[in-house]
Amino acid sequence: MKIFPIIGLEVHIELKTKSKMFCACSADHFHVEPNTHTCPVCLGLPGALPVPNQTACEWCLKLGLALNCEINSQTFFERKNYFYPDLAKGYQITQLQKPFAINGKIFLNDHQIRINRAHMEEDTGKSVHLTLHGEDVTLLDFNRSGVPLVEIVSEPDITSAKQAKEYLNKIQQLVRYICISDADIEKGSMRCEPTINVKIETDDGQTVYTPLVEIKNVASLTGVMTAIDFEINRQVEEWKTNGTTKNDTNKTTRGWDADKNQTFLQREKEGSADYRYFPEPDIPPIEFSQFQIEQIKSTLPELPDAKIAKYRALNLSDYDAKLLAQNSDFASIFEKVLDNSTDSEFAKFITNLLIGPLKTISLDIEKINPDYFKNIFDHRNELNSTSIKQLAIESYETGTDPLAIAKSKNLFQISDTSQIEELVKKVIANNPKAVDDYRKNSQSIGFLIGQVMKVSAGSANPQLAKEILEKLLN
Amino acid sequence: MSDLNKLTLTQALSDLRSKKISPKELVADCFARIESVDKKLNAFLTLNKKQALEMAKTVDISLPLGGIPVAVKDNFLTKDLRTTASSKVLDNYIPQYSATVVEKLQKAGAIIIGKTNLDAWAHGSSTETSDYGSTKNPWDTNRLPGGSSGGSAAATISDECIVSIGSETAGSIRQPSAWCGASGFKPTYGRCSRYGVIAMASSTDSPGPIAKNAQDAAYVLSVISGHDPQDATSINENPWVIPSKLPDLKGIKLGLPNAYFPSQIKPEVKQFVLQAAETFKKLGAEIIELDVLDPKYAIAVYTIIQRSEVSSNLARFDGIRYGDDRSKFGQEALRRIMLGTYSLSSGYYDAYYLKAQKVRTMIIKDFDKQFQKVDAIIGPTSPTTALPLGATEGQAMFGELEDMLMEPSSMAGLPGFSIPCGFADGLPIGLQITTPQLREDLAYQIAQNFQENTDFHLQKPKL
Repeated sequence: MKIFPIIGLEVHIELKTKSKMFCACSADHFHVEPNTHTCPVCLGLPGALPVPNQTACEWCLKLGLALNCEINSQTFFERKNYFYPDLAKGYQITQLQKPFAINGKIFLNDHQIRINRAHMEEDTGKSVHLTLHGEDVTLLDFNRSGVPLVEIVSEPDITSAKQAKEYLNKIQQLVRYICISDADIEKGSMRCEPTINVKIETDDGQTVYTPLVEIKNVASLTGVMTAIDFEINRQVEEWKTNGTTKNDTNKTTRGWDADKNQTFLQREKEGSADYRYFPEPDIPPIEFSQFQIEQIKSTLPELPDAKIAKYRALNLSDYDAKLLAQNSDFASIFEKVLDNSTDSEFAKFITNLLIGPLKTISLDIEKINPDYFKNIFDHRNELNSTSIKQLAIESYETGTDPLAIAKSKNLFQISDTSQIEELVKKVIANNPKAVDDYRKNSQSIGFLIGQVMKVSAGSANPQLAKEILEKLLN
Repeated sequence: MSDLNKLTLTQALSDLRSKKISPKELVADCFARIESVDKKLNAFLTLNKKQALEMAKTVDISLPLGGIPVAVKDNFLTKDLRTTASSKVLDNYIPQYSATVVEKLQKAGAIIIGKTNLDAWAHGSSTETSDYGSTKNPWDTNRLPGGSSGGSAAATISDECIVSIGSETAGSIRQPSAWCGASGFKPTYGRCSRYGVIAMASSTDSPGPIAKNAQDAAYVLSVISGHDPQDATSINENPWVIPSKLPDLKGIKLGLPNAYFPSQIKPEVKQFVLQAAETFKKLGAEIIELDVLDPKYAIAVYTIIQRSEVSSNLARFDGIRYGDDRSKFGQEALRRIMLGTYSLSSGYYDAYYLKAQKVRTMIIKDFDKQFQKVDAIIGPTSPTTALPLGATEGQAMFGELEDMLMEPSSMAGLPGFSIPCGFADGLPIGLQITTPQLREDLAYQIAQNFQENTDFHLQKPKL
């Protein structure tokens, strides 16, 4: 028996616009006192009307373009009608028939994942279930009600939990690159609902598909992976037990229990939910001109795939290129230091200098001075590797030219042959036993080099010292 | 002086500004009138007496409506003043904010004296579906005032206020104006902001004035119209301005659609509308008979679209954040929610909602075609005069049949005036004037020329 997981992901991205999707309230709701960022519109008071947030629409379009989507230039909002206590209006304003962006794709290594759509909608309020004065209660907080959301729906092209993680990382990376959201899964500004089933090829050559399952309430990246793996196994086991296969009506919704690490049945017969979608009459249809689309396109920064290709062209390793393109901060710092140079030796040199600090401390791009790095690079042969690293850090922290620091700290190596020869002669004269040892075994030259370094207080070029030692002793 | 409540808006403004009368006297006379006749009429649901008298003391009479007592339909939110939409669901609802139209009135110095009765949620053409009892027609209190803005029309024509505000989805300003003998001006969809008006059918709801004559109505429209950034469907235009010099009707082409005289029309209605056409001819207009799309299609389209929107618009009234729960919905609301829910359900959406939208486009195109031949279209507002109380009983489609002559223009978002053009058995007959979008100036020009040459609008009911 062979199994082939079929996974599609629905990702919700909360945009970090100043105001909400359809009103002027602040869209910030994380750790905000409940029901303080509300108004008649996001509370669904009688007579209140939605006015779309233009920035949010443009950002959704921008994301669509970053996901290589086609843009629906003539589009509209729709109402999705359902009851839930934290859904203020009794319907959510969203898009069904004409999403802003459709038919996109992203690349994970060599694999392509197709994007079905990226559409604009609004978030709901939040229900908080707790015990208050000994009573089980549900409290409603409408701070989140009406916060702009983009929903990205992938085609079922994902084949494993690991790939799902790569996909989510990629979406997160793109969203952060174009600065439209923090895309923080733990904070809920990025949410993910996998839909999973499994293609099973039995040993007697039959192919069957298990019923579709949508998993909700997964609140971390590892949770997504664990939930997917759990569900794949569960579906295969269930099929082994009862042989149920996919049909039009047996899609179910399962919740994720992060404590027990298992999914549990939430809702059966997904097909029967009828949201009675219809065009939102309170918002006129929206038209994006080709000019507007081009303008938004022109605000897109260079995206990670392009950056990686560019860094690879500088002969950086795949690992380094990906690491530098990992986020736009890294990439910007690297590119500021690179300063348009195409010298691959220089690129590698600064990569080695930058990767450590980038990973461990948060560098302030404003304090980075590309000239300092150039100076260090130009004098790299007169500096030992420890000094090079030290100078890069110190010049960054103090804003002082590294060459001045090197001079004052006497870090330049002595590369003057006659000067080193003097030192070598002194070492040979003072260490007769070590000289004897060397004559017996040339491998023991290390000790003598060490002595030269010692008498030069570390400033002798060790390579030159070795060469001169060998010349004088042979 | 007494009976200042009988003044028209134009007279009242002039008397206020010349200090002949004070806002306080004017407001007090309106309340005196309300106290003496509203038990019979039931036009008001909530009075704002204390506030109104207080405001009258300090109001700036140089403002466009400075000191004018205005009655507002109870589906417009008024901050701190109970707003029910005539439904027990909102029996004790005190709004936290005011509708844009209300704010514009207040900014212009108008004094809101109270909130008027309507069909619950504006669902109807009689006010009989109000959870607070029907309003009575001032011309015959055994008869209906029409609706849904029946309270506003009755209050205006019985001199309980100087002018009032109504709202129309398809006939709700013009039909009660016709049945009460008032002058009602339904503007282009989007001309007046819907923000803060309890939504009925979002795609056709239009606030507008109901007044004692066309000139007053036009003046109020100029105050309450204009773009509102809080209403995405509001037209990006400055407030409508009344033409400073009224042109006459020479050379104006008026269309008279044959289909607006259906077989069930009351003979006197037909007779007086045709007589009005003769008056227009005398004033230099040309009357052209028109073959238009049968209004019966508009009834079907309107019913589907309006019920669909209603079913969704009423979803927010779940009793969780404000108001009572859904058990308080009346029969008519329940019926509309059921029908709308059905027509939006999967499998039926294409057959009903989508098809209705397509026919709506045909209606709009038909008007475009007609307006290539004529400048404006005239006809009866309603095929009848005011019907007796109880006429809606067992008539689920009562409103649609009563409003059938206005539903086409409502679906097309066109502006229209209804003005009185005659009487039958002591009951007013309404004449409607419909013009292309944003041509309120033309509708007013036609209505005003008519009233300058007739006196139907000067008749008063005896209460």
